[in-house]
Amino acid sequence: MTGVTWHVLPIPEAWQHRLARALLVLAGLFLVINTLALTAVQGFRASLWVSIAVWIVCAVTGMLWLERRMPKADTLLFPLAMFMSGWGIVIISRLLPAFGERQTLWLIISLIALLATTSIPNLLSILRQFRYLLLVFGLVLLLTTILFGTNPSGTAGAPALWLGAAGIYFQPSELLKIVLVAFVASYLAEQYPIFRSTDLLNGDKKYYLSPRIVGPILLMWGLCLVVLIWQRDLGTAILFFIVFILLLYIASGLNRVAYGGAFLILAAGISAYFLFDVVKLRVDIWWNPWLDPDGRAYQIVQSLMTFSAGGVFGEGIGQGFPAYVPVIHSDFIFSALAEEWGLLGVVTIIVLIAALVSRAFIIAVRQRGRPYHTLLAVGFGILFAVQSILIMGGVVKLIPLTGVTLPFFSYGGSSLLVSFIILGLLLRLSSGES
Amino acid sequence: MIPSETVLIFLRVLAGILLLATLGLVLIFLWRDFRGAAETITSTRRPYGKLTAIETIGNTSVLTGESHPLLALTSIGRSPSNAIQIEDSFASAEHALVALRDGQWWLEDRGSRNGTLLNDLPVTQPVIITNGDIIGIGQKHFRVELEN
Repeated sequence: MTGVTWHVLPIPEAWQHRLARALLVLAGLFLVINTLALTAVQGFRASLWVSIAVWIVCAVTGMLWLERRMPKADTLLFPLAMFMSGWGIVIISRLLPAFGERQTLWLIISLIALLATTSIPNLLSILRQFRYLLLVFGLVLLLTTILFGTNPSGTAGAPALWLGAAGIYFQPSELLKIVLVAFVASYLAEQYPIFRSTDLLNGDKKYYLSPRIVGPILLMWGLCLVVLIWQRDLGTAILFFIVFILLLYIASGLNRVAYGGAFLILAAGISAYFLFDVVKLRVDIWWNPWLDPDGRAYQIVQSLMTFSAGGVFGEGIGQGFPAYVPVIHSDFIFSALAEEWGLLGVVTIIVLIAALVSRAFIIAVRQRGRPYHTLLAVGFGILFAVQSILIMGGVVKLIPLTGVTLPFFSYGGSSLLVSFIILGLLLRLSSGES
Repeated sequence: MIPSETVLIFLRVLAGILLLATLGLVLIFLWRDFRGAAETITSTRRPYGKLTAIETIGNTSVLTGESHPLLALTSIGRSPSNAIQIEDSFASAEHALVALRDGQWWLEDRGSRNGTLLNDLPVTQPVIITNGDIIGIGQKHFRVELEN
């Protein structure tokens, strides 16, 4: 045993590299076969095959780069992400060819961002050192969106969550996710001694609700309310708050944080139900969509139809009719996948996402004795998990619908880009960077 | 010319098989990784113990969440060549040594500029340490936690 310590994470063995490559090859075969089937149904489209070719180039480049530059990083993360984003591109191209081309372009940008994220030296400690600057940046971003936000669809009254210039739109709340997790992780790591304070003489655990614990909760709660009230962005508000509460719970180990957080969410939800029409609508159509299946509940009812149409094995790509669901390429992409690949596809998606989240948690567990790194990894894992549960649960009417994207799958450049940047940060964490 | 219905069915079956293969591959990966981790935990020798960093705030000493495993010969200092590297401008490059000799743990100062403290007293010659002792190096304090 050498002088190095627990901080060193296990180095991937040869079989892990082999299986990761095999998974990428499987993903490639799956995409090519579906593209063949789509061509048989819809006729030949050059842009579709270009998308697949771009995906293959991205997958090979990324894999080779990561194997050479980050040999110690987790091997499973990248193939999982590429599988999901490739599948997303195929289904978006099948639904709306023009959007599929844009998504392919975003995949290239995201891959470059991933490689950049893994290349910048000391990125994790930079994020930690400049946390207050980061927070100010995040708040300015939020304020700018509230003041100058637009909606690319141009519909009046639609939530203005985008910042746009020269035809390119970006959703700042996506970037805010990274800022939030990085800030909260470094703040809580700094407060860790207080949270876990133990009197060494008699071993008493001194837990108390000091302003250090309650203060940030109320601040975060207020911030989420601002997002909710000014932006009508229910999904992001609830996502931010759940992620924050879970991080605080993990850092402090106090059950009362979890109970208190659940209470605050309930309280906010109930008052929002009576105050905001958009929340009331979402809850009403979740409770009983059959009162107005052709009107306000049209989207959710059609989404349920796609699931029943899909059955166990699905209708096959290009052979279903998912276009009945409005804006299916973004928030409702899960129902398109359910219709054309059936239960088998749905289970695969859930397993892919669960595997990604479990890798993030394992990376967190292996950072022994380093609170900041643990919280960062666990925060990103929770972010993916909660976001996926919110939208998948919403689409199948398990919970009220909140408009968030399905990570890696949904159409949306900002969402894909930010997911890949988070992936890069997880890769850095897994290779044992201090 | 093969009828396109047959082709589509064939492609669907193939896509389904690939999805099943993906599921299998991911599960094999996770399973082997978990098994490997379990083996590492059970096969490695039990550690000697650890040095847990503590911080004094007011009258209470609190854990910072940072801890280092003890080795049979644990060198402590600012230089990266040490078993425990501490980032503290008051620590010397090669500051102190914790070593297991004849069944006892010893603490030794390696001629550091600001000295090594054991329970707030300076260490001038090698001393025997025991569970619960507080070692002070630079501005940092570590509690000795030995495995029995």
